Parts: sequence; C-alpha cells; structure tokens
Amino acid sequence: MANTLAIKTEGLTKQYGQALAVNKLDLEIESGQFYGLLGPNGAGKSTTIHMLTTMTAATSGNAWIAGQQVSADPVAIRRAVGLVFQDSALDRTMSIDENLQFAAAMYNLAPDEANKRIDELLSVFGLQDKRKRKLVSLSGGQRRAVDIARGVLHKPKVLFLDEPTIGLDLPNRRSIWRFVEQLRREEGMTVFLTTHYLEEAEACDHVDFIQKGQLEQGGVPEALIKQLGAYILEITTSNPVNITKQLMPQFGTPIREDEDLSFKVSADDVDFYQLQQTLGDAVSSMQWRKPNLNDVYLWTFCDPEQGSMK
Amino acid sequence: MSWRPVKAVVGREVSKLFQQRARLISSMVRPLIWLLVIGSGVGSMLQGPQQEGYLTFLVPGILAMTLLFAALLSALTLVYDKEFGVMRMMMIAPIAHYWIVLSKLIAATLTAMVQAILLLLLVLAMGLISVKIALNLLLPALLTAICCAAIGGLIAVYSKSIDNFAVIMNFFIFPVFFLSGALYPVNQLPDYLHYIVVVNPFSYGVDLLKHAVPNVSTDFSVMTDVAVLIGFSTVAILIACWQFSRESIHEPLFQQATSQKK
Repeated sequence: MANTLAIKTEGLTKQYGQALAVNKLDLEIESGQFYGLLGPNGAGKSTTIHMLTTMTAATSGNAWIAGQQVSADPVAIRRAVGLVFQDSALDRTMSIDENLQFAAAMYNLAPDEANKRIDELLSVFGLQDKRKRKLVSLSGGQRRAVDIARGVLHKPKVLFLDEPTIGLDLPNRRSIWRFVEQLRREEGMTVFLTTHYLEEAEACDHVDFIQKGQLEQGGVPEALIKQLGAYILEITTSNPVNITKQLMPQFGTPIREDEDLSFKVSADDVDFYQLQQTLGDAVSSMQWRKPNLNDVYLWTFCDPEQGSMK
Repeated sequence: MSWRPVKAVVGREVSKLFQQRARLISSMVRPLIWLLVIGSGVGSMLQGPQQEGYLTFLVPGILAMTLLFAALLSALTLVYDKEFGVMRMMMIAPIAHYWIVLSKLIAATLTAMVQAILLLLLVLAMGLISVKIALNLLLPALLTAICCAAIGGLIAVYSKSIDNFAVIMNFFIFPVFFLSGALYPVNQLPDYLHYIVVVNPFSYGVDLLKHAVPNVSTDFSVMTDVAVLIGFSTVAILIACWQFSRESIHEPLFQQATSQKK
C-alpha cells in the first residue's frame, strides 16, 4: 500500500535529451527508515532526489511521498519534505539568523515559532552563540550544519540529504552524522541519503546502489557485508595472471586492477600465513581484512572477468 | 496562500538596498550627473526660454531612468539568486513557483519607488519642481516602476546566467532608455527611430511622467499611457511567471548542476 510508505516510486524515469539520467526506478521506503542511495558522481542520485522533491519533473513514471502523488500537488509535497541540497542554498552575505528566519518565513512559520525552532536546532549543532555571525565567517562544516538546520526547520516527514558531507574533513563529517542521528531519534523523520562515501552509509537501515541511472537492489548493510564473505584478500603481484590461476579454485575470480588482485574469501578458517608462504616471492604484498560496504559496492558493480566497472 | 513568504522575499531585497549604501548613493549620482552635466551641456546649445525649460524637461526623464535602472537591477536578482544558490531556498519552499517571481517584482517596484522618492526630494531641494508636481509624479512613477519591473522579470527568466549582464546592459537598458523620449521629444525623431519609441513600453512611462509636469510637451494621451503600461505589465508578468514555473520544473537550474558533474 502506497499510503503507508514514506516514499514509493514506480518506473520513475528522467531523460535529459538523449541521456537517461534515471531509468525506471522502483523504490519502497517505509516510514522512519534511514535509507541510503549509493553510487558514483553522475549516477542519477541527485536527479532522483530532485524528482522526489518536485525540483524537476519526471519524464515518466510515478512517485508518492507519504501517500501523496508527487506530480499532483507539488506545494503539498514541498511542505512534507525537507531537502538539503548538495550545494549550499544559503545567502553568504547574511547571518545565520537572517538565513534561517528567511527560510522559516518561506515555510510560513510564525516569528516566535521560528525563533524557538531555530534556537532548538542551533543548540543541537552547537551554534547557538554564533547565531548573529555572518555565514562567510563560518567553517565549511558549520555552514553545512546551518544548511541541514534549514532543511528541517518545518519538521518534514521525509528529509532528503544529498551528499551532506561532501567536501568536509573527517571530524566535521562525523559531527554531521551525529546531528542527523539525533534529529532522526528525536523527530522520527524518514531520511533519504545519497553519498559516495560508502562507509558513511553503514548506519543506514537499507541501502541500494545506483549506477548510470540503473538501480541495483541492495539490502541491510550489515547483511550485505556478511553475505559478501568473511574476508577480502588483497594481493599485489607482478604476475597477476599466474596468481589468479593458482588461487581461483580456492577463492573464485578476483577483481583485477593492473597488478592488484582482490579476492573475496567466504570461508572464515583460511590460514593466510600458510598461503603467504606458499605464494612466497611471487607477491610483493598481501593483506586480508574484514569486508565493508565499499567492497559490497565494488563486487556489485565490477565485472570480475574484466576486472573493471560494468 | 499566506503573505509571509512574499513579505520575506520583499523584505530581503529592501533591507539589502539599505545595507548596500554605495548602490543607493550611486543610484542618486547617476541621474544627477545626467541632469547637471547633460542637462546643462545640451541646454547651453538651446536658446532663450528653451534653455531654462530643458532642465525641467529632463526631470521626468531622469526620474524614469532611475526607475528603470532600479527596477531592472532588482528584478535581475532572480538570476543572481539562482547563480548563488539562494534560489533553491525559495524553490523548495511550499509556495507555487510563480509567487517567487511575483514577490521579486513587488520588491523591484518597491525598491525603485524608494529611489525615485529620494531623487524627487533632491530635485525638490534644487528647486527644479514644486511639491505639487513632485506629488503628481508619484502615481505615474509607480506605474512606470511596475512596467520596468515587468521588463526586468521578462529578461531575468530568459537569461541563463549573470554573465549576460553586459549584454543586458547594452541590448536592453540603454536602448530602452535612449529610445524612449526621456531625453528629447519623440516627434522630432526620424521615422525609423520613432517606430522603435512607439513599441517601447517604457516610452509610455516617460510620457505619463511628463504629463505630470506642466509646460512639458507630451507625445501620447494619458489614457494611452496608462492603458499601454497596465496592458504590457500584465502580459509581461504573466509570461515571466509562466516561463519561470516551467523552467524550474524542467531543466536549467539543475541541468547546470548535473552537467558540471559529468
């Protein structure tokens, strides 16, 4: 049933001239979920978000937000969603306060209601004492935090975050995720995230992958990782063809990039030290580690025969 | 539909006008240069009573110029805001997109009127017009401001980026201003220029302003002026709203973003 889902799409497609930006997307995302749509730059992530938030019209197909058809009443959809754009939507010449007051007015929040909400959000982000500061004087992370605060001023049912941590350093990225987590916990909103920093999506309830506008079914990150294998074995060698032949019966086809081979190891009782001795001088480096979401992504999209992206 | 978003957009433009004092001062200096330099220069070539009359003749003209520059530049913030991303904040808001255009044009009209009133106070202080004439000029100025905002809105929704600014200056503002009767009576122009003046909606604003000043020759009737100004503004604003809603739902804004990535 469409009306119990936060987001539902059927054959959602966007074409720019000849280019197919998003191809027949079918999604069902339940309320309260933390959903991640993962893929490289230009894969169609932003276009998908823009279609779901009425920022661009779909070429064909349908979409519903909280049971309301997106194309039927764009204004109602915009009231129900919050969108943090990939590039800042703030006015750099104005202060944090002026920016958020302006955004609040655009959402038709009464001034005292807006004030309370701004106070509340700025304290979540630890920016309450910078409220009167001009945006130009803030760091990239702080500006992004204000952008997110702007996106949730009106307590949307569904929050879209388009690459929220792009261009930020690690500490800032961590704090952005803390804020998102807190907002989710306190306000119970559904969050639709796109990112190409895949490790950041491990906290999602569900992830899917998108490449060249095409959706690849994913799942729960933890399960996907577990399903991939027990270990990832990475070998650098000057003779990749021989090593591949030697190890293929045991580990299957590797992903090859020049001299680097990457095998997924399903059994969790492989004696890697023994293996290292067997291979001896033929390899210049060898390491094994637990898989992560990056590996899931690579193994979803890499054609092992070719060792390159599909 | 509530007025709060409209008030927010208009308020942002008006407060920017007062924050950018240089813009406000330059908007006063430009017409005064025209009045004092061109007015006195050209006036000195005229003879006798014509010479004295030229400065007064110029008052409606430079008032119209102030309105044109102010309203057009303000309407062009539609393009500025798009370039700098602030437009996203308005487009994701739960209001119909044509309200963004309407709010910007209300803001443009208002900022133009603020500058026109400042100029009238200056001209009043210089003794070129009486208080009564200044008051009579207000309503024609308002109609002209709306017309100029509408021209600006039309240009804004059809220009892709602010890089076009010099183009807009050379191809719109200057021709619209010079071919309007703001600086010279229209009926003395050669035929081909006369036709351009007649199709230029701004000419009717200038003419209506001239009607408010006694002893200044006019080219059209008050009725014609008012009808053309209202008619043109209505059509132009409708087209601007239609094009903006269409454009925002379709490509340009986001096509730029996606094409950068590829």
